[in-house]
Amino acid sequence: MKPAPFTYEAPTTLGEAVDVLGRYGDEAKVLAGGQSLVPVLALRLARFEALVDLNRVDELAYVREDDGAVVIGAMTRQATVEADPLVARSVPVLAEATRLIGHFQIRNRGTLGGSIAHGDPAAEYPAVVTALDATVTVAGPDGQRQIAAPDLYDGPMTSTLSDDEILAAVSFPVWDPGSGFAVREMARREGDFATAGTVVGVTVTDGRISRAAISLFGMGPVPLRARAAESELVGADASGLDLAEVGAAAVADVDPPSDVHASGRYRTRVASRLVARALESALQEASR
Amino acid sequence: MTAVQDGAAPQTHSGVGRFLGQSVKRREDARLVTGHGRYIEDVLWPDAWHVAFLRSPVARGRITTLDVSAAAALPGVRAVLTGADLNPLAKSFWQTAMGKDSPQPPRRLLATDDVRYAGEPIAMVLAENRYVAEDALELIDLDVDAQPAVVSDHRGRWGAARDEELVHPEYGSNVASTLPYPGMPTENPALEEVLSSAPHVFEERFHQHRYICVPMETRGLQARWSPDRDLLEIVSSTQNVHEVRSMAARLLGLSEVQVQARAEDVGGAFGLKCFVDKEELAVAAAAYSQQCAVAWIEDRNENLVAGGHSRTEDLTVTMATDADGTILGIKGHHVEDVGAYPTYGVGGNAGLAMMMLPGPYDVGQYFYSAEATFSNTCGMTPYRGPFLMETVAREQLIDIAAAELGIDPLEFRRRNMITTEQLPFTTPMGLVLETITPIQTLDQAAEIIGYEDFRREQAAAREQGRILGIGFASYIEGSPAFGAAGAEQVTVRMDMQGKALVFMGSGSHGQSVETTMAQVVAEELGIDIDDVRIIQGDTTSAPYGTGTAGSRTATTFGGAARIAGQKLREKILAVAAVALEASPDDLEVADGVVSVKGTPGAAVTVEQVAAMAYAGHTMLPPEMEPGLEAKHRIRNPPLMFSNACHAAIVEIDRDTGAVEIKRYVVSEDCGNMINPMVVEGQITGGVVQGIGGVFYEHFVYDGDGNPLTTTFLDYLLPTAADVPDIEIGHVVTPSNTPGGFKPMGEGGAICSPPALINAVRDALAPFGRLPNVQPLTPEVVLDVIDGTAAV
Ligand SMILES: Cc1cc2nc3c(=O)[nH]c(=O)nc-3n(C[C@H](O)[C@H](O)[C@H](O)COP(=O)(O)OP(=O)(O)OC[C@H]3O[C@@H](n4cnc5c(N)ncnc54)[C@H](O)[C@@H]3O)c2cc1C
Repeated sequence: MKPAPFTYEAPTTLGEAVDVLGRYGDEAKVLAGGQSLVPVLALRLARFEALVDLNRVDELAYVREDDGAVVIGAMTRQATVEADPLVARSVPVLAEATRLIGHFQIRNRGTLGGSIAHGDPAAEYPAVVTALDATVTVAGPDGQRQIAAPDLYDGPMTSTLSDDEILAAVSFPVWDPGSGFAVREMARREGDFATAGTVVGVTVTDGRISRAAISLFGMGPVPLRARAAESELVGADASGLDLAEVGAAAVADVDPPSDVHASGRYRTRVASRLVARALESALQEASR
Repeated sequence: MTAVQDGAAPQTHSGVGRFLGQSVKRREDARLVTGHGRYIEDVLWPDAWHVAFLRSPVARGRITTLDVSAAAALPGVRAVLTGADLNPLAKSFWQTAMGKDSPQPPRRLLATDDVRYAGEPIAMVLAENRYVAEDALELIDLDVDAQPAVVSDHRGRWGAARDEELVHPEYGSNVASTLPYPGMPTENPALEEVLSSAPHVFEERFHQHRYICVPMETRGLQARWSPDRDLLEIVSSTQNVHEVRSMAARLLGLSEVQVQARAEDVGGAFGLKCFVDKEELAVAAAAYSQQCAVAWIEDRNENLVAGGHSRTEDLTVTMATDADGTILGIKGHHVEDVGAYPTYGVGGNAGLAMMMLPGPYDVGQYFYSAEATFSNTCGMTPYRGPFLMETVAREQLIDIAAAELGIDPLEFRRRNMITTEQLPFTTPMGLVLETITPIQTLDQAAEIIGYEDFRREQAAAREQGRILGIGFASYIEGSPAFGAAGAEQVTVRMDMQGKALVFMGSGSHGQSVETTMAQVVAEELGIDIDDVRIIQGDTTSAPYGTGTAGSRTATTFGGAARIAGQKLREKILAVAAVALEASPDDLEVADGVVSVKGTPGAAVTVEQVAAMAYAGHTMLPPEMEPGLEAKHRIRNPPLMFSNACHAAIVEIDRDTGAVEIKRYVVSEDCGNMINPMVVEGQITGGVVQGIGGVFYEHFVYDGDGNPLTTTFLDYLLPTAADVPDIEIGHVVTPSNTPGGFKPMGEGGAICSPPALINAVRDALAPFGRLPNVQPLTPEVVLDVIDGTAAV
């Protein structure tokens, strides 16, 4: 469990980091909190000629409000996101989801951008990005571009960033007043990746649901949106819902994987109940 | 209960003294919890060559290409050794406890020609550091022509193609061993009679999946052969340095005086480090053949895949009762998967499980049979409570039978437990139980957990749709001390300053031996505990011993320490008597001072006595040997016993099947406790391993013998967040061995699995039958709740 040799690069600005990365092309990998990358290197499941360490790029660590959105720099530690007052106020489900990532030691090192770039299908942040319709800003040799949430992932642990691009920031839109959110997951142990999980957001206007988002994680190769169930919700009376039915609709079309921890059948059954639980909680929050 | 006197020395049976019986703080902790523990990786010799093993990528197959030349040519690599290089060095390869002639699979250090489990070492790189060694591994050209593997799956269905594909063609069969032993009766006709006539007969096959020792510190060994000094020096992370020495000497055809082995702090073992396996021996052989220093630190991936596996067995128990639930007879059939190369002999635990299946019960007629089978998987190694399957199965069957008979499970147990009046009780296997208290511990556990109140709470909770359950399990912990393991020695030496060094062949790897044994000796010598130091883990200083394993340290080393201490105290008094011109019978020693009873003014310090014993020997009577040193080698019965009862309350999430342990209670009787806090620590650690085994830990192979749970991402250990507070009550009934101590180190791991499973079974009773599978994943549980279980 020792990594193969690599060159270590430690740029201090985003521009410099993009330049260094460009020099190596697909022979280099960006190092953020290292919580996913380092084990992969130690097991020699992957090897790179160089690691480009972003830990000295201070300009990538921030949380700020910008035009109806909360924008968070990629190198912001998960522990910072968890404790940030602006996040708590404007994107509370992001803070709630953060508490489900590993243990505090991991959140002290792990970054928002690292988790989202890594794109583990069972991870919380990608599911929040997917549910909230967040936008990702990436920086590459040709400057910056935006990627909308639905276009971010190709497959398990595969984002649509190209090898010479760096995820710079994520912009989480702030939903209208009258919105509520919840994240629910089943994990084998405290702090584990989810066996199955869901992020739910709803906006209730005059007693009726005017906006709904349900994302599922651990349920497929990428975080999924339960679009059919969402459209059933929009326009519905917020107090007269059959939650179990919504849960069942949310998982109707998914085909989750089986592994040593659970079968796909178990995941489907549990996800449907988690959606019901999350929706109940989100509706309560929306009507507060 | 009165004590039988050991012939060697007079003794008292005071359970509690100035140090003995007190929760003295662990002396090991200051260094261990501040990060100053010194493990093997902290003492690697600067000139050692670091080892990385090339391991088989498949479970079974023929090696068609093995070319190490490119790896050997990599800068920083000293050598790449294969089986062709190393195996011829192996003169003999057997574990002392098993003896030279007991059957075992063909042993080899490195695989040649074929591979027999995924992870089997094939070649070893010696390089200037582990990084370079792993770089070199990538340069080895290896081709293996994979063949169908013999693999058992985790639900206990052993491969049908059993004897078509042989794990070890040399062995001639995949059946490694069977019980009854040759020459023993192959059935018990009286039992068959009972089974055919009893009002009720219950039969279940219980399965225990593969879960394993996962010490924080993995295995590791460094060895140096110095031809000029004619010496093989070894430092190993081991429970048993003398076995390391014996194995290395036998392997290489050296004499035991040419080999020295020692251990540093050992960061856990749980049985994994009581024997010596091929990787460790390969390191010693490499050092010998290369005439240099060689070091190997097992990494976590190796530890999980190839560090030795455990459990992996089925036990079918048939139990006959009368109409009132009185047990009339029990029959057991045990099938174990011992992997390809079990570390000891043929690896099976059935021999001891057979002795212990009746447990704390009067079971009437009895019979036991077993079969251990080889497979193309990592070999079996002992893990805390290696034969615990007897308790795991029996305690579950009791709950199942009690439920079917409509008898409360506690009442069922009380009805069948051996009572104090029946002691000494001879079991069907001929074990003599003298001081056990199963009913007392059952009652105490029930009281602490509030059994009656819980049943009311459970009924109310069920009304609200909550799923609560309670489970109990009782057992006798049998500690095997066969052969040399029952005859451990402690030597106590007092030098000129009147302080004591205590030498013993134990191998503490978390048992607080430095604390508890110092308590015993300080108590006897009447000096301060800080003036006693325990020296262990070094073949150059320790009396020959078999290390720390099998829950024996308190009973064997503790008993020997007590008597050695008594002998030395007598000598101190005898010398002091000369100085004080008094009779030794009139003297007492306390707080480092020997005084005449009732005349405190007439006194001499132990330091003065020590000086006189050595430097003032001319003052001693001619028949008295100078010096202050005493030793005692104990002679303990081959099996000693303690007993306990565990009780658990669980709540289950009806949507996910997740189980929360709400309370966990243990009532135990390990006789006189040297240190109650240490006893409780041992129990707690064992219970945590049971929690892991029942709910989280599972080493999984696919149908082709490929390991799937090769890191902690998938091999799930319980963490602090998954473990409840463990409440412990004590019943104290001294044993009849010196000190009144009983074995207790493994019980936490033995009894917790059935207590937890019974609690889940009880919780799920309104929904249906819990299948006899392990681990109890949320999915298994949810299947019962949803009625989708495939029983
Ligand atoms: C014990 C443990 C438990 C965990 N549990 C969870 C859990 O429950 N849920 C969960 O979601 N995660 C969990 N994780 C993973 C953790 O959250 C990681 O922090 C996260 O997945 C990756 O973030 P990082 O900052 O550590 O990234 P790194 O490990 O440094 O990088 C991960 C990958 O992303 C790439 N990358 C990183 N930053 C950028 C960037 N700015 N631009 C482009 N590419 C980038 C890297 O090149 C690499 O490929 C756990 C980790 C551990 C060790």
